[in-house]
Amino acid sequence: MKTGRNRFSYWHQQQRIAPYLFIAPFYILFIVFMGYPLISSLVMSFYEMRGFQSRIYVGFANFVDLFRDPIFWKSLWNTTYFALGTLILQLPLALFLAILLNSKVVKGRNILRLAFFVPVLVAGVFIAIIFNLIFDQRAGLINNEFLIFGKEIGWLSEEKFVIPAVILTGVWQWAGFNMIFFLAGLQGIRQELYEAAAVDGANWWQSFIHITLPSLRPVIAFVFVVSMIGSFQLFDLPFILTNGGEPADAGSTIVMYLYKNGFQFMRLGYAATIGWVLFIIIAIISIAQLKLLGIFQEE
Amino acid sequence: MRIPFDIDNFPLGKGPMVMLVLFLISCLFIYTPAEEKGENLEFWIFANTHYEEYQARIPIFEEMYPEVNVQLINYGGTMHDKLLTALLSDFGAPDVVEVEITSIGRFLKGDIDEVGFVDLRSRLESEGWMDKLVVSRFTPWSYKDRIFGIPHDLHPVVLLYRDDLFKAAGVEMNEIETWDDFIAAGKKATRDLDGDGETDQYAIVLDRRTESDYFNLLLQRGGGFFDANGNVVIDSEIAIDTLEFFTSLFNEHQIATPVYGTWHGDPSNFAAMQDGKILSILAPDWYVGILKSQVPQMSGKWKAIGMPAWEHGSRRTTTRGGTMVGITKQCKNPDLAWELLKFAYFDKAGLINRYETTRIIPPLKAAWDAPIYKEPDQYLGGQPLGQLFIELAPDLPPRYQNPYWSEAADLLNDAIFNAVTEKQTPRQALTQLAEKVRTLIAKDQQRWTEGIKNEDGTK
Repeated sequence: MKTGRNRFSYWHQQQRIAPYLFIAPFYILFIVFMGYPLISSLVMSFYEMRGFQSRIYVGFANFVDLFRDPIFWKSLWNTTYFALGTLILQLPLALFLAILLNSKVVKGRNILRLAFFVPVLVAGVFIAIIFNLIFDQRAGLINNEFLIFGKEIGWLSEEKFVIPAVILTGVWQWAGFNMIFFLAGLQGIRQELYEAAAVDGANWWQSFIHITLPSLRPVIAFVFVVSMIGSFQLFDLPFILTNGGEPADAGSTIVMYLYKNGFQFMRLGYAATIGWVLFIIIAIISIAQLKLLGIFQEE
Repeated sequence: MRIPFDIDNFPLGKGPMVMLVLFLISCLFIYTPAEEKGENLEFWIFANTHYEEYQARIPIFEEMYPEVNVQLINYGGTMHDKLLTALLSDFGAPDVVEVEITSIGRFLKGDIDEVGFVDLRSRLESEGWMDKLVVSRFTPWSYKDRIFGIPHDLHPVVLLYRDDLFKAAGVEMNEIETWDDFIAAGKKATRDLDGDGETDQYAIVLDRRTESDYFNLLLQRGGGFFDANGNVVIDSEIAIDTLEFFTSLFNEHQIATPVYGTWHGDPSNFAAMQDGKILSILAPDWYVGILKSQVPQMSGKWKAIGMPAWEHGSRRTTTRGGTMVGITKQCKNPDLAWELLKFAYFDKAGLINRYETTRIIPPLKAAWDAPIYKEPDQYLGGQPLGQLFIELAPDLPPRYQNPYWSEAADLLNDAIFNAVTEKQTPRQALTQLAEKVRTLIAKDQQRWTEGIKNEDGTK
């Protein structure tokens, strides 16, 4: 039983305050390093710098300019193109690799898993340099070994091939990483389900469609959403591979354009505007994906 | 030996205690202050070769000024972004900093009084340095009559070529004087070696994705993107004519390679040079240093001449790249920083040392008589390359700086690519480009004046 005196005692007060103190470090760090920059970048998108000490309020002018800016639209299209390429090429390949390397038929699975995973450990700069050689029009490995269209392709010098080149590089770099998530997902599926299906006479394909895919749904959703976010934030690989988005902005991405505006052109307000528009795009796409994959539905 | 306290009775257990001890020890390391001296000068650098040079030479400066401690920090490629942030936030900028030529423009945006660098004009003039240096070399670091940095280099450009392979094609490159001569020679040297109907050997590699080589030619003719007063002049007749010439090397004459590598430093570019597929390149002094380190096995195969001239007797060089050193307005002791600047850039012994490691020719004319520049260069089969650079140096064209250089260069890249790939004529590409950049500048000006009016109105 508590008395009135007790309620104000040291121990009682401490009990009340302690939980807030325990969670305080997170909130303090969040406010300082996330909350404040977020708010101030939103404010900044309504201003433009005028030199190093002063800025000018411009209202919605940055947003209006952005929607009329052909390089922004080109960068947005390039980024979307890359994201679609990732979705269509990279993720099915990652799933295929995971199924292959989960099967007991394949020998040396551990070494292969490692081999497919390793590219993600290599720094983007090195990957860009290696793929610059691989994509070389005359001497490059791809044009020399696989004359796909029966002629030399200017992977990095013809506008229409630049993003496909970046997608292929992305596949090499990230497919193994995504494979690991699928592999973990596959190993979490109960074997009895397959055994029961086999007893019922299901073939491999039927088991895949009716057991593997549904069981993997949360993993697929996770990998899709994370890959999409990653794709829309693409920066270092094309920045180096295409020498800053060349030729003719064919390799430019949204984040690259944001970086150029913020740091190279000193248009911080415009860069903040691009950042917020990108945030809205990513949020819409992520929510749409999660909805489509039924993650918000109650099981 | 007994530990003076009981580990087992530490309230949170052994693990947290070990973590606490490690934390305290590392705090000590972090806290350990640098050598306590009277004055500290922080010096930011972005190039590894410069950093190595100063690391070796700064102790000499510190001996001259025993009360001074110079802290060298090499931030590599991200340095300019860090500097921008530090100048914007009015906090954390170094005292002394090196800035690269394509990056300086952004630091000149807005009101000239708000630029983060100290104006060095009065110091340079009162101490007589202007006459001692190649004066055109101040243009990249000057804006609106103020000089924000002193030049590290000249970066004159020569034509580097494969003597053996041009000779095999029946061309004596020594006799080349003009670009017309070069085109004639280039046509002989550009060949299909294996008879499969595709050209494998090209007379020259030029960058068609970025402004670099086109701008080399434009500066050589005395043109530019902006003039001395900051006006956009990229749609001048000289600029259009130069772009027409540039595209003709790819399309009409077909002596510039469209297939091997596309930019200087592109690894496939080096591979093609090594295979004898690319016979010449426009090379500034620093690029020779890079070739030496990237393709040392090509030693003895190169030779160099001045760039072919536009007309008989006209300028045979241009300038590519560059670095300045400046003092930021956050520096507490600009006089001392000025001494460091002079030590780093005007000390003859240091400049000779710089040439030894990087092949960079200094803008200080008094340093040019050192015997090292006349020494035969084995990489060029014994040709004294330094001598050639010094002969060309006094004729270096100016390269006017502008706050809009980064935006302009980015759009110029597109214009050049569109012209070379014949999507637009050179005239269309450059006229449209000039219009875009003029609109951009006018819009900013309008916003700024309107903004100021509004601010005044609210006061």
